[in-house]
Amino acid sequence: MASTLLAWINRRFPFTSFVRNELTDYPVPRNLSFWWNFGFLAGFVLLLQIVSGVFLAMHYKPDVNLAFDSVQHIMREVEYGWLIRYLHSTGASAFFAVIYLHMIRTLYYGSYRAPRELMWWSGQVLLLLIMATAFMGYLLPWGQMSYWGAQVITSLFGATPMIGEELVLWLRGDYAVGDATLNRFFALHYLVPFVLCVMVLIHLVALHHVKSSNPSGIDLAAKDNIPFHPYFTIKDLFGMVVFAVMFFAVVFFAPETFIEEANNVPADPLQTPPHIVPEWYFLPFYAILRAIPDTLGGAAAMTVSVLIFAAMPLLDRSSLPGGARYRPVYRAMFYLFVMDVLVLGYLGTQAPEAWVVVVGRVATIIYFSIFLLLPWVSKIEERWLRRRGLPTALQATMASERRQKASGV
Amino acid sequence: MRSLRVLSGVLLATTMMPVVMAAVLADVEIPSDEASLQRGAQLATSVCLGCHGFKYLRFGNLQALGFSDEQFDSLRAGQDLDAALDSYTPADVARDLYGVVPPDLSLMAKAREGGPHHVYTLLTSYYTDESGVTDNHLLPGVRMPDVLGYSSAATPGERTELERQALDVVAFLSWAADPKVEQRERLGYFVLGYLVLFAALLYVLKRRIWARLG
Amino acid sequence: MADTDEADAGRRDFLTTTTTIIGAAGAAAACWPFVVSMNPTPGVRAQGAASLPLDGIPPGAIRTVAWRGKPVFVFHRVPEQIAKADSSQGGKDPQPDAERVQDAAWLVVVGLCTHLGCVPNKTADGWLCPCHGSVYDNSGRILSGPAPRNLDIPPYTISADGTLMIG
Ligand code: HEC
Repeated sequence: MASTLLAWINRRFPFTSFVRNELTDYPVPRNLSFWWNFGFLAGFVLLLQIVSGVFLAMHYKPDVNLAFDSVQHIMREVEYGWLIRYLHSTGASAFFAVIYLHMIRTLYYGSYRAPRELMWWSGQVLLLLIMATAFMGYLLPWGQMSYWGAQVITSLFGATPMIGEELVLWLRGDYAVGDATLNRFFALHYLVPFVLCVMVLIHLVALHHVKSSNPSGIDLAAKDNIPFHPYFTIKDLFGMVVFAVMFFAVVFFAPETFIEEANNVPADPLQTPPHIVPEWYFLPFYAILRAIPDTLGGAAAMTVSVLIFAAMPLLDRSSLPGGARYRPVYRAMFYLFVMDVLVLGYLGTQAPEAWVVVVGRVATIIYFSIFLLLPWVSKIEERWLRRRGLPTALQATMASERRQKASGV
Repeated sequence: MRSLRVLSGVLLATTMMPVVMAAVLADVEIPSDEASLQRGAQLATSVCLGCHGFKYLRFGNLQALGFSDEQFDSLRAGQDLDAALDSYTPADVARDLYGVVPPDLSLMAKAREGGPHHVYTLLTSYYTDESGVTDNHLLPGVRMPDVLGYSSAATPGERTELERQALDVVAFLSWAADPKVEQRERLGYFVLGYLVLFAALLYVLKRRIWARLG
Repeated sequence: MADTDEADAGRRDFLTTTTTIIGAAGAAAACWPFVVSMNPTPGVRAQGAASLPLDGIPPGAIRTVAWRGKPVFVFHRVPEQIAKADSSQGGKDPQPDAERVQDAAWLVVVGLCTHLGCVPNKTADGWLCPCHGSVYDNSGRILSGPAPRNLDIPPYTISADGTLMIG
């Protein structure tokens, strides 16, 4: 019965072959570490956000007079409403945590390099979409932080030359963030995740074309690949449940960790809270914004600081394979970058006293220098490594890559 | 240009801001036992409700605190079970009296840095100086009167009693801000227990499956 | 060798089955909060009761009250209407009038046609549904048209002081 149905479908739709080629038998390098788990986790969190979001939308009211109350209605009256909201608010942070770790993996192992540039660029688009979604979602509870966060960030567009003022007015649909803004943010907050899903699909199609990178930095020979199922179904699942333990520990026992106190006060357009801080995932970029004394310059620097990741495949000019594994200078720069981002993040939480501003400027300069010096650094590093004699492991890796190319795989 | 001014104003405000008041909040343990919550609810409905509302609570919600029927009836003073805990003083009257509308207290325990400790410290920081002026150490110039009478407590014993009252009120405020805490944590232990067990099973299974690769 | 392999396979199968069942049970349980979040909230359930003082309704008049978002007809019948209703069993869903009222003077019915939920309009002899022409008598019993049942009767009581409590 089932097999007849399957045969009927398979004549019309490549169901079995799709499942086989793209899921069960899809070849994956056997040497992947848990650093390769974060893509799967990001998919899981995306699903979680969409499901919890749709259920929240059944009770939420995008109206300045009702929004704050409707969130409390969800928290207090709707059965398990508190759970669904805490899933969603914690899920937003989890999403960024997972995505940033995914990016760190990619940077460390050089997974953005040829032929995976389009994966990296589609990933960059995903990052921008997630940031936009998170930013718009943060307005919806209509607390003080929601309001002033949106007020400040939309004001940033006012720095656009010539059309700044009109642009801000158009974005908000009002002279200040108001009912029109809340309504459109809600509409877009609901829409963008589905655009995101399409982008994820593109990201995955590209992945299945170029296949996963792996810690060695070069593509493995066919014999070193193993089928996705059962090896990676079980490994990804295990990773997912370990992630879930941490995630639910926050949801059930510290759910207000990612909700600012000031956001439990309804939005008041007449009074800015004493200490406004963006969500943790925007802090490094916020610190860059504040490091530049000029509004337009700050906004531009902040934008570039997010977009500059896209340039990585062009900036890394080394012909040695992979990322940090065999390249000590690249590795040092990687760690410097991670530390610099953490420093920027910390500065983002601080009231900008004199020392914060100074350190912020230094950290901003380091941030951009790492990217901009990479073309030279990677070349010089390569020359130095070759002069010193490449490590045997690397030579073997490169030799096998040459053999693979020669045999036309 | 207006929005730019707002922006630079806000950026400047954060720049100029002195590191948020170093005022130290009292380091007390906030009780969550039924007796404290009940006493706190009684104080809140008899004292705080005079000026503040708890608009996200309905009288029926207070039944969750385990009152006896008589206690509950005297607490709600004939109010409908579905009626919200609105302030006895209408907002416009309060504004005339105090110059501000006293903020709603439903979420107060989550709406200030330090949460319940902020409120406890506020209530127990009133003092009267030599010239007879009453003020507050935590929020100098606060427009809320010394409702518990802490500044006029004459003996350490009286003070201790008022501090206990403040603790009870704050316990109630914490509950009011997060009435699902008990349900949440109970479910939390269950879910985490399940996930740890499931993770252990998956781990063993993963080891077995990967062992096939030799 | 072969023995241990098989024993191993058996164990693995048991483990796989257990893990799968536990995982599936967890996934199913995870759906529950989402499902019940769609239930009516306590505030909505509290609207499940409506009340109406009857003394303001003259004989022959009808008041419509909202109960759980539905119209309820409260019809103060005059003796001739009662007598006429009493004299028949209605149409395709026969029922004595006495079973449909607590006090013969007061007919209390949910004002939604039992066909597809439109609100019937009052006529001299009962009600006529504007949607598909179902005809009801003054006891709310279906006489003709597509409606399958008589108009529903909500749970209600009439207190001694003449207040109707629905729900
Ligand atoms: C006589 C009226 C009155 C009573 C009674 C009263 N309050 Fe207040 N309360 C106020 C006013 C007025 C303010 C606003 C103060 C301001 O903004 O300067 C206020 C503000 C507050 C604040 C906010 C302080 C801040 O950090 O901004 C808290 C917390 C508070 N009250 C708690 C309580 C508690 C708990 C009780 C019951 C024990 C209570 N109040 C009883 C009038 C009152």
